[in-house]
Amino acid sequence: MELDKPIIELKNIKKNFFLPHEKHDTFIEYFSHPERLFRRAGEQYEVLKDVDAKIYPGEFVGIMGRNGSGKSTLLKILAGIYTPTSGKVITRGKMVPFLELGVGFNPELSGRENVYMNGIILGMKKRDLQKKYDEIVAFSELEKFMDAPLKNYSSGMQVRLAFSIAIMADAEIYLLDEVLAVGDVAFQQKCFEVFRKYKSDGKTVILVTHSAGSVKEFCDRALFLKDGVLHDLGSIDKVIEAYING
Amino acid sequence: MFNYYELLKQFISTDFKLRYKNSYLGIIWIILKPLATFAVIYLIWSNIFKMDADYKMGLLMGIMIMNMFSEGVLNGLTSLMSKAGVILKINFSREVVVISAVTISLIDFFINMIVFAIFSLSTPVHPTFIGLLLFLMAIVSVFLLVLGLSFFSSIIYIRLRDIHNLTIVILQLIFWMTPIYYQLEMLPLNLQRYIKLNPLTLIVTYARKGMINGAGVRGEDFLQLGIVFLIPVILFTAGLIFFRKKITKIAEYF
Repeated sequence: MELDKPIIELKNIKKNFFLPHEKHDTFIEYFSHPERLFRRAGEQYEVLKDVDAKIYPGEFVGIMGRNGSGKSTLLKILAGIYTPTSGKVITRGKMVPFLELGVGFNPELSGRENVYMNGIILGMKKRDLQKKYDEIVAFSELEKFMDAPLKNYSSGMQVRLAFSIAIMADAEIYLLDEVLAVGDVAFQQKCFEVFRKYKSDGKTVILVTHSAGSVKEFCDRALFLKDGVLHDLGSIDKVIEAYING
Repeated sequence: MFNYYELLKQFISTDFKLRYKNSYLGIIWIILKPLATFAVIYLIWSNIFKMDADYKMGLLMGIMIMNMFSEGVLNGLTSLMSKAGVILKINFSREVVVISAVTISLIDFFINMIVFAIFSLSTPVHPTFIGLLLFLMAIVSVFLLVLGLSFFSSIIYIRLRDIHNLTIVILQLIFWMTPIYYQLEMLPLNLQRYIKLNPLTLIVTYARKGMINGAGVRGEDFLQLGIVFLIPVILFTAGLIFFRKKITKIAEYF
């Protein structure tokens, strides 16, 4: 593995957000303090202070951290949605982020139409989607409901459909945010099989989760995010311990 | 980018699907709505004001172009915002969002052209091949103009919601500053000069000329429209540069 170039490199990533300190939305409020039109009161809030990491091809990396530790921000930076305030992200390979399942789903469209919408947003070709359509529907176990509008699906059904499309997306790197917690036990087992397949196919996966069980079962390595700093504690057990102890 | 075109097609077709979802007549509305709207305008101007044929068809054409312009501007303005849910979750070429929103108004225009053709059965128009070229050039320049504006406005709108209301007012102003219901020659000379500064004035004038009175089209018309054409081209280029520069930093402000 040392011979490989890292597939993802994070170099001194910092991310600040502007945190306003006073509420001033109306015209009157501006009128009494005209200078605020140009400079709002507030501070720079550091969400990520220093994130350095190298992830190698074929690794299954878990990232754990308490709420508010910066996990989602880090994933969004990895996915190229946010730009870091400073630092650099290098990715070498096609990446599909699953920050949320069913991106682009529209409640008014039918299940079938949503498969195409979501699939194309995930970077698939319509032609490939047509070929894989039956497979997607079979995996989701929603054969009977594909022509019904999505708004009539239960939330579990929506997630199942979304997940079934997501696993068809072909990439080298997958970013998964808390998507393990979908569906009933039987469907979860199916999802775990997909993760095992990613692993045996040598895909690189970054998994952000609160579940110590999933980290233990799937990850080769775990990183611990606390107060905007990413720690490599050496072993998965240590990360889980640190996470539990806060 | 890899599936730029597929994404564009998907966004556009979804928009049309959603527009007629849950309606009984469905896709028929796509023709029925402009047909009914134009019928009202046409009947009023031919029966009450007894306007001549060229005026009536010119009026329809003018309204069609202004509709494309205003709807395109508003679609483009809100395009990024209305796709925020997708933009915040996945990285793809954001331009597609703006382009698809503006293209929808172009497609609507061509659908309206079918209605225009239906009306021309009773009130003939006289396009020529050269005239149609001039017409197409005018339409392309509206499209690029709107696209260029939208590359700016869609980004600015995320930080400054006020421009939505402002735009609606400005669109009204632009509508009345373009000779749609009135003819340029009706105005006093000093006012004409200002109306001519509006690029849409010349665009509408040449689109009408090419479509309704094709035989009258001269080489200098192309030259004049060509000069106007530079405005959309410059705006489009500047807009694209602005958009690409700002888009990466805008996500956290949605």
